[in-house]
Amino acid sequence: MTNATDVFTITIRRRPWWFWGLAGLWLLLVVLILQTAFASVRESEYRAATISWIATAVLVGIGVFAWLCRGRSRRLNASSDRF
Amino acid sequence: MEGIRKQIGRRTLLKASGFVAASGALGSLWALVAGGGSSASARKRARWIRVVSRPTLGETTADYKRFSGNDIFTIYRQLKDQRDGAGSFEAEQASKTKRLAAWMNEKKPGYSLPDRQLSEGAFTVMHSAKPGTGLLAWTRTSVRTPEELATPRYTASPDEMAKTVKAAARLYGAGLVGIAPMNEAYVNLRVPHRAQPRKDQPDKDASQKNQPPMVQRPEGVHAGGEPGKDQPQTVQPPQDKEIVFEDTDVPAVTDTKFVIPRKMKWVVAIAIPMDLDLLSRAPTALGDTAAALGYSHSAFVVASLAVFIRGLGYEAIPCVNDTAQSIPFAVDAGIGELSRLNKLVTPEFGAGVRLCKVFTDMPMAYDKPVDFGLVEFCKTCKKCAEACPSRALSFEDEPSFKTRGPWNNPGHKAWFEDSYKCYQYWQKTGTGCGICLASCPYTKGDQAWIHEAVKATASIAPATDGVFRAMDDAFGYGKQRDLEQWWTKDRSGRRG
Repeated sequence: MTNATDVFTITIRRRPWWFWGLAGLWLLLVVLILQTAFASVRESEYRAATISWIATAVLVGIGVFAWLCRGRSRRLNASSDRF
Repeated sequence: MEGIRKQIGRRTLLKASGFVAASGALGSLWALVAGGGSSASARKRARWIRVVSRPTLGETTADYKRFSGNDIFTIYRQLKDQRDGAGSFEAEQASKTKRLAAWMNEKKPGYSLPDRQLSEGAFTVMHSAKPGTGLLAWTRTSVRTPEELATPRYTASPDEMAKTVKAAARLYGAGLVGIAPMNEAYVNLRVPHRAQPRKDQPDKDASQKNQPPMVQRPEGVHAGGEPGKDQPQTVQPPQDKEIVFEDTDVPAVTDTKFVIPRKMKWVVAIAIPMDLDLLSRAPTALGDTAAALGYSHSAFVVASLAVFIRGLGYEAIPCVNDTAQSIPFAVDAGIGELSRLNKLVTPEFGAGVRLCKVFTDMPMAYDKPVDFGLVEFCKTCKKCAEACPSRALSFEDEPSFKTRGPWNNPGHKAWFEDSYKCYQYWQKTGTGCGICLASCPYTKGDQAWIHEAVKATASIAPATDGVFRAMDDAFGYGKQRDLEQWWTKDRSGRRG
């Protein structure tokens, strides 16, 4: 419970430019590899399709992992700020 | 209004704009990589296909002479008898016939009766296409000329004329079309008698004549037929006809020669894409069907185009494999480059094409050869040579002038192949082969962007060729596809 006298500080940080670059690259790769996967199925190139599906899953996994790590560090920072 | 403004907000608008801009950038990148749409149906070619003034490989020297016109079947038979003794060819054919029959009876995948007859059906149009007659008639047959229609013949600028002819060829089924100057050195010396219609049965279908299928096929066309019966030479004396250039107005086919008018200075070179799904099932009767269908499509396209050109008021000679070497014309017309296979590889369809051509006196703008980095890629890759079961393809790093047999035409640089070994392997499989065509890393479908990206990169950065070859292997490209699956594959909604 918080009291009316508690003071909270919210820090808003700009994400660095390279974050957006990496996010854009990640999105681009996911889209392109996903397209390869679907196209390979249409072309009956099943091994290429399998590799593309796996690559897509790995890329998405890396993205999710990075997002979770960032979320965790944000929570940790918030906790440390409080104490 | 104020509420909506609060809900949307400047930040949200900025995000949305960013998303739209990113999508646009992605689309642009895609278009750049794909060269503004380089699919089979598009007319404009990808930007990574550079137009050059001279062919990257295959340019002829003064030693280049007109080829005899003898096909590999004739040459193989002669050499086989020389190397293994008289009668060895017949014995081999008899053994092949037995083997094929056994495979058919045991329903061996790729060699069952439906597999075999699929190929025969696909060859139907080509069966009635013999040089100088029927579909491949050298003179006007059905069309009414502008004169008969009381109108002047079609004239326009050379560029416009070329565009008109290319548009028509594409409509009839050409995958790629280019215009090359006539080069008499590329024209064969003669039409072998086996490639001509028989006098007693001029235009009938092979099955009606009880004629073995292989005899009906044009030079260079393989058959999964019953070669034990294919011995027309024993019942008919050779009647090879010379091909000559003369200062006449119209092409002619006489009892002794085929006459090409000297005024025919334009060659419409055409590539017909083969069915990749079938080609990937080589070497079987199913794989053979890709070639058979390619030949029939070729015959239809050149026959239709010849009629179209005649209808515009000009002369036209339609040819498939016959009459002249298709590859050098296709190289000169910028359809593709000469490869390690010693065959044409196109940027769009790789080696999975059949070539044909139409000679004409219709003045058109010539195209130029192209360079998309293939020769450099071939130096590194060698996948076709490794895939070839008969080791008929060259493993040399550099192309050379050294030919490997009478089937090669000297006077130009190439990676020459051993066609004897190649054809010997055909006798083992009982059909044609085509493994080299299917295994080429450029022979790919047009669905995945990555193929375009790889080809585009290889065209400007030969240092990446080795990596791309390794990737091609890792992704499992070029391997024989499941033979039985072809018949059960869902083709609903598929065009063609």
